[in-house]
Amino acid sequence: MATRNKNSINRRNFLKSAAVGAAAISAVPGTAAASATPAAAKVPAAIPISPEAELSSSPAEILTTDRSGSDFMVDVIKSLGIEYVCANPGSSFRGLHESIINYGGNRSPEFITCCHEESSVGMAHGYAKIEGKPLLVMAHGTVGLQHAAMAVYNAYCDRVPIMIIGGNLIDATSRISQVEWAHSVQDAAAILRDYVKWDDLPISLTHFAESTVRAYKMAMAPPMLPVLLIVDGELQENPICADASLKVPRLTPTAPPVGDSGAIQEAAKLLVSAQNPVLIAGRSARTPAGITCLVELAESLQAPVIDQMDRMNFPTRHPLNQTERSRELISSADVIVGLEVNDFWGAVHSFRDQMERTSLSIARSDAKTISINSANLFVKSNYQNFQRYPEVDIDIPADTEATLPALTEAVKRNLDVSRKSVLSDRRAKLAAAHDESLQRTRDAAAYAWDASPVSTARLSAELWNQIKDEDWSLVSTVGFLSRWPLRLWDFEKSYHYIGGAGGYGIGYNAPASVGAALANRKYGRLTLNIQCDGDLMYAPGVLWTAAHHRIPLLTVMHNNRGYHQEVMQVQIMADRHSRGIDRAKIGTTLTDPHIDFAKLAQSMGVYAEGPIADPKDLAPAITRAIQVVKRGEPALLDVVTQPR
Amino acid sequence: MTTSIRIAAKKVQFAAFMLSLVFTCSSRLQARPPTDPQNGKAVFEKLGCFRCHGSAGEGMSQPSSAGKDSGPPKIASTHLSLQDFVHAVREPKGQMPPFGPKQVSDAELADVYAFLQAAASQPKIELPSTANSQNGEHLYANFGCYECHGYQGQGSVQTGGSRLGPPQIPFSGFVSYVRQPAGQMPPYTPKAVSDAQLADIYSFLQSRPQAAPSKSIPLLNK
Repeated sequence: MATRNKNSINRRNFLKSAAVGAAAISAVPGTAAASATPAAAKVPAAIPISPEAELSSSPAEILTTDRSGSDFMVDVIKSLGIEYVCANPGSSFRGLHESIINYGGNRSPEFITCCHEESSVGMAHGYAKIEGKPLLVMAHGTVGLQHAAMAVYNAYCDRVPIMIIGGNLIDATSRISQVEWAHSVQDAAAILRDYVKWDDLPISLTHFAESTVRAYKMAMAPPMLPVLLIVDGELQENPICADASLKVPRLTPTAPPVGDSGAIQEAAKLLVSAQNPVLIAGRSARTPAGITCLVELAESLQAPVIDQMDRMNFPTRHPLNQTERSRELISSADVIVGLEVNDFWGAVHSFRDQMERTSLSIARSDAKTISINSANLFVKSNYQNFQRYPEVDIDIPADTEATLPALTEAVKRNLDVSRKSVLSDRRAKLAAAHDESLQRTRDAAAYAWDASPVSTARLSAELWNQIKDEDWSLVSTVGFLSRWPLRLWDFEKSYHYIGGAGGYGIGYNAPASVGAALANRKYGRLTLNIQCDGDLMYAPGVLWTAAHHRIPLLTVMHNNRGYHQEVMQVQIMADRHSRGIDRAKIGTTLTDPHIDFAKLAQSMGVYAEGPIADPKDLAPAITRAIQVVKRGEPALLDVVTQPR
Repeated sequence: MTTSIRIAAKKVQFAAFMLSLVFTCSSRLQARPPTDPQNGKAVFEKLGCFRCHGSAGEGMSQPSSAGKDSGPPKIASTHLSLQDFVHAVREPKGQMPPFGPKQVSDAELADVYAFLQAAASQPKIELPSTANSQNGEHLYANFGCYECHGYQGQGSVQTGGSRLGPPQIPFSGFVSYVRQPAGQMPPYTPKAVSDAQLADIYSFLQSRPQAAPSKSIPLLNK
């Protein structure tokens, strides 16, 4: 946070309103504002004035204003239906901050106090995946965006819409302290430009209005991505000219891009004639309708679905869900379809990380491959999240959810009656394999059932037992606990699971869970977060945000007391070099002292219990914590767990 | 036609026959190139054969209570002919899934066969009676086995670490796999972990209880 000297307001108001007026005039020629202030527009450029001369020439000091530029900005933001603004306060957007809480009444958007910009963006990330629309993040254009950067990258990789406003002081002569100089930047968006969809630097209120609506529209068009506006402090704080002609532009949502009809027909023919088709889903469902679309396609073909669960794409207990048989099915498939699959090449290859890194295709050499992916519509160069080039037979650059109805229709048209018995047999075999797979999973979960630290299977089963009859929403990633919830629970609805960070940047889970819980609050859902210890330690202040804003969220720690992935990485190196295999814990574990997450949470006003290392203590603790959450508050259980 | 001319004609015919024979043999050689054990190893791993048969085809069978070996058999240095081997892969008996020509070609199977024939037969190593499970528990944790396989050897689908506790393979196969693993597991050389230490670890894993049947655990039937 930075402060600014208020003694300069008068000078800045006088000069800058003129400058902004000039900008506004050039942006909106012919408006009432343009004809009303031609003389004022010329003043700064034509007559060099010393500060003393400025003061003496002012007829009267203007100390207050009834309506500032930031009030109009709030009008624009409200028009987009943005519910919340997450921010750690900063002087470069103080005008907007004040307008939101006073002029805007702190409702739609409501100001959510965050303790770190990474938490602000992380919350926006989780919120968007539940609500399907962005919330607003505000941050200093310098230090704030620097803090926010990793979280923005995660959202970019995860294709999540977020609106970000970075404050800045563009006019060097308006900066009045060392702090303001340090917090000002020539090109504030540069730090994020590689991983946002679009950015702009509006220089008038009309420009702001158009760019904000444009930014929202772009963020929401598949592939959905974060967008950034840099908003000048002067533009926020200066008064709106009495006769300025300002209007809030109308938002027209962009229709999602649908695949080419010829390519869809070709894909349908391949699928219908396939003996062993496989559908791989990455982020295929953007909305609840996306799940229905995929179920319909899979059932039309009686084809197995492998759900990579970057979103909740396909019900886990559906007989065609064959995620646990991924490799076996891909290696025998004659047609493989990737639906918003982030790494198609990786999906059909296996890797070996030994002295030489090797990869092998696991797909049949004659297998036909089809990709439907909106990511191909927006690719940038610098960051390499676009993955290895996949050689596919049919490439459809389009939004999967919007394209699936046409593909399903084409499949149905091409299906011959004679195929019915083939499809029926296929379904029966897949259903039997699904049941066997579930049984194998349950058998595997029984191992280390009574172990201490608590096994991740036991942790997941205990939780499921107590939430299965609630309207629940698991908002944390499960990649670090052997995916037990996805393998044991019955996931069906779009908010039952929201995927992971996208960019694999640690520090995502805690704030994203709080943001998702914020979105779930108005629906009365029981929001669950299985929280890794290392992730929470990046910015634990988000627990305070949850407590302060009464965000109901059950956090259960998966406290394996280390950065377990990294323990294994160091171990691999030690093995490779045949030395020091007992030293991989150095630099990778969180012990001595153990972190007391219950005390940490309690210190920020969150109900908490733990550490819990005996699995028998888990069930009653979960019961108590759920009661707290149902009262509308956050709760945390610190469970000491097995590594994975 | 004179006799000399007839003899000359016969010579030409014979030469033509020999040439055609050479050409035919050469064509056959071109149609079936020499086998490639290195590629065979790669195919063996690609198909996941190692998961059941061990990284060098040493097998993972154990004596059953009926006194007969059960489990995936040793296939290194197999006594089967190539033809029978291919047939066994195409139309297997028991638990093994069939692998059709579209998953693996005859030529690739010939490479796998060559790899298995070349694979050195591992001398059988017995678990020493001095194996110390307490020390094994310490080593298991200290050497980081738990990282992929869990503190109780329960395994993890996330890390790819298979379930080890209690072991599903004989000590001999255990040692062989640790030394020359397939998949993502890094190799542990004797310099890093001695056979005696592996014996202690194996003994610890043997002491891990079998899990209760999942059907007897109410929470696993929801």
